[in-house]
This record gives sequence, C-alpha cells and structure tokens, in this order.
Amino acid sequence: MAGASVYSFYIFDRHTECIYTKRWTGPQSIPQKSTATNALSNGAVPVSVKRAMKAEDDAKLIFGTIFSLRRMARQLGGKDDQFLSYRTGEYKLHYFETPTELKLVMLTDTRVGNMRTVLYQIWATLYVEYVVKSPLAPTEHPRGVGVANELFEGGLEKFIDSIFTPAQ
Amino acid sequence: MAWWVVFALLIINKAGGLIYNRTFAPGLQKLDSNDYLILAGTFHGIHAISRSINPAPLAERLPGNRKPPTTGIESLESSHFRLTCFQAPTGVKFLLVTSPEQPNTDVVVRRCYELYGDFVMKNPFYSMEMPIRVEKFDRALGGYLVRP
Repeated sequence: MAGASVYSFYIFDRHTECIYTKRWTGPQSIPQKSTATNALSNGAVPVSVKRAMKAEDDAKLIFGTIFSLRRMARQLGGKDDQFLSYRTGEYKLHYFETPTELKLVMLTDTRVGNMRTVLYQIWATLYVEYVVKSPLAPTEHPRGVGVANELFEGGLEKFIDSIFTPAQ
Repeated sequence: MAWWVVFALLIINKAGGLIYNRTFAPGLQKLDSNDYLILAGTFHGIHAISRSINPAPLAERLPGNRKPPTTGIESLESSHFRLTCFQAPTGVKFLLVTSPEQPNTDVVVRRCYELYGDFVMKNPFYSMEMPIRVEKFDRALGGYLVRP
C-alpha cells in the first residue's frame, strides 16, 4: 500500500471506554498555523490542552458513530451482520469487534482496502500477547491502565510501518 | 447476474426526516415504518458527525479563511450489505442499500437522483420536504431498479 497513510487507531473496551489511542501525524502545517491564531484570540486555554481535549472528544464521537452504525447494520442485515467500514470523501474508518466486545477502530486514507485482517492481527498477535498475557496488566483497563506498555506500542508501530511503507 | 441486488432506497430530507422508503428485493430484515424513521434520523446524525471527525490534513483554505467542505459518509460496508449515500447540494440524502458485490453503486444512486428530479421535483403537486407519493416516480424507479 504505497503512498497510503494511516491517521489514527483506537481501542474501546466493553464499558464503552476508550482504553488506547494512537495518532500518526503527517505533514500538518496548515492546521497548526490556524490553532496558533486561535490561541491568541482566547488566551485562557493553551493550545496543548485544547488539542488534548479535541482528541478526547474525537474518541467519544467515534465511539458514538460506530455504536450507532453497528446497531444499524444489525437492524438492516440481521443479528449476525457485522459493520465493517465506512468511507467519506476524506477518510475511511475500519472496524473490528472481538467476541469479548473489544472494539478496534482505525482511520486511514480512502485508498486503503479492507483492513479487517490487519485489525484482527493487531488484536490476536499484539493485544492478546502483550496486554492480556501481561502479568502486570489488570483484567479491566479503566482509563487505559496497562494497555500502552512498551512491547505493545513498539509492536504496533512496527506492524503498521511494515504495512504502510512500500517494501524496498 | 443474480447476486447484483438493490435491496432498498431511502430518501432523507435536509432535516433528517424520511420522505421515501421502498424495498425492491427481499434480503434485508423486515422493519416497520417507525424503525425506518428512526434509522433515517440516526443516519442523518452520524453523517454530520462523520464530517466533523475528519482526521485528514486540511486542504487549502478557501477564500475568506473558510474551511473546505467535507463530504460525510459516502459508502458503508457490512458483511451482508453495502449502503451508498449520495447527498445532493440541497441536502437531500439518497441511501441505496445493495448487496456488497454490486458494482457502480454511485452511478445507480445518481440515476435515482435524476429520476427524483424528473418525476418529483417537476411535479407541481408535490410539496417540498414532505413524503413522496408520486406514482410516476414509483414506476420509473421500479423499471430501473427491479431486475426481471
């Protein structure tokens, strides 16, 4: 998948909480300029705090979206129907749900094809191996405790890099 | 080509109300009209949200520092069907539910928009934003979407 890019990746647990977020920031010169001017006009909230708040809100909006679309797919297609992905003119959202209602969401470029197997592999080879089997991680992950450990982060980065950069 | 199936067409007005709803082939769950109304409203909301969670780097600003428009959901895939959404410049949304293998759904949904323009908009007795009850539109859609 040469030239395609991945924007962000989220994991939601069965209590609807976002337990892991990762964003890949590409060349973003234009929006940074605009946030700088915004910070001047209402100086009360620093840009970094604002950006963190925006990220948190985005995660909530994404959860709401996939929750509704998942229900819509079941309503139209029957009980065993699964919502897979949606595409807008700008980005594509891929969705995978495990039997334990762990939800994995990835936002990518529109040119990317089906990412279901990739999300499955992230769950099976990274999440299960490094988070579930970790003796230090709790069974539940309130506020993402124990998910973002070194092995999982490193593994995820390497895995995504191997998919989205052209093989030399 | 029996696996190319158009299951249903829904038309949502700019306020999120369902104004047309027709199934062309069996294959979807049987829903009553109330469920379809809820579905249309839900989709209208999600469509708006999907425009605001755009993670792609912003394109060049338009003159006057305006944000370039984003499109919202254009197509949705599930394991049993594919939903193609076409939003007309006036805000009317056309949702076409097809089998996942159906090709060229964007062409099909645009043709439905044309039929809407021809038979609904040009009908002097149709009142805007209200449910569509136009017999000629029904017939034209049937002739186009129902496979013999």
